[in-house]
Amino acid sequence: MNSFEKIEYKPIPVRELLREMKNLSELMIDLAYSAALFNDKELAEEVLELEKRIDTLAYHLEMTTMVAARDAKDAEALVGVSKVASATDKISDAAADIAAIVTQNIGVHPIVSEIFERVEERLAKAKVHENSILVGKELGELELAPRMGVDIIAIFRGNNWIINPKETETIKAGDVLIARGTFEGLKELKALCEGKMDKLED
Amino acid sequence: MAEKTQKKFEEIVKRFVDLKDTSELMIDLAYSSLLLNSRELAEEVQKLEEYMDKLHTEFELLVLSSKFKKEEAKGFLGLIRLGVVTEKIADAAAQIAEVVLRGLEPHPVLKLAIEEAEETITYVQVAENSVLTNKTLKDARIPEETGMWILAIKRGDKCIRPKPDSKIQAGDILIASGYAEGEDDLKKLAAP
Repeated sequence: MNSFEKIEYKPIPVRELLREMKNLSELMIDLAYSAALFNDKELAEEVLELEKRIDTLAYHLEMTTMVAARDAKDAEALVGVSKVASATDKISDAAADIAAIVTQNIGVHPIVSEIFERVEERLAKAKVHENSILVGKELGELELAPRMGVDIIAIFRGNNWIINPKETETIKAGDVLIARGTFEGLKELKALCEGKMDKLED
Repeated sequence: MAEKTQKKFEEIVKRFVDLKDTSELMIDLAYSSLLLNSRELAEEVQKLEEYMDKLHTEFELLVLSSKFKKEEAKGFLGLIRLGVVTEKIADAAAQIAEVVLRGLEPHPVLKLAIEEAEETITYVQVAENSVLTNKTLKDARIPEETGMWILAIKRGDKCIRPKPDSKIQAGDILIASGYAEGEDDLKKLAAP
């Protein structure tokens, strides 16, 4: 049996709810493809956890829009909000479907993973070598997004996944990073992780 | 493994990546259509959905006609299911774009939520004196310089899907997605 979080109305701004639903749904898609690509069950489980969070947010958003609509004009203005929110919910369901492929042991063929990793240009996995200049640095100070258009979406450390790590997270040797971004940026990140590059470009 | 088999697999995975990329592009374009309240962009999303249907059918037929051995089949079941998921994502994108096509003025909170998201969508008009003017996308190196991806180019009433040899003209509106940090860099390039 699934356990469901109890829902009570809370006055959360629609803007915050929408923003979080959009962020989470996109994060989930990338994490889910990564889980399938790298055949990682724990990561897939994390995606399923995030799905519960989106479901809860969707409830809150629906209640908030209901409370906000006082007349026909409000309803016309708000129906779009509710449609977009339900679309992000659908996207998160799709991500959960991907995760389920992994947790149900169906998985993808190793050859598929190998080719996929080569062809797919927006996701990458890299292990941080002890010689890498990234070791001991906080994510925030590295400024990977402005420098090379790359975002770290998860870190595997000591048998645990850290999902959507904070700016203050310090990179350690042996960490496995999952990143999304531009092809060039990801190539650079891999070189940095392997210790093949010893300087961050501006 | 026989070279022929490897080639077959390559083709299947490439088709899948095409499905995946198209579905993600649709999501970005759908949000862009809301942000700009643009019917052209919303229509582009609907067109891509038709393209997805065609792509998905071709992908499934290719997998089905590939004569997998029993022990390989399971690994490709996963891939078939992934294909179905991309369709779901495309449907969600179409649902977002539909809001615009129904003539509903997007609520201001939608705009704010899109602009404030981690992966933001932005648009900028290319100025006459921009270094981008008259350059092809390939030569403009926008992702390398700014970390932003060009999703579409709006030229008057037309919406152009970016290709490496597409030429940027003064007055074009570039619609791009990426991390918020790249937005300023893009604006500096396009409208100095």
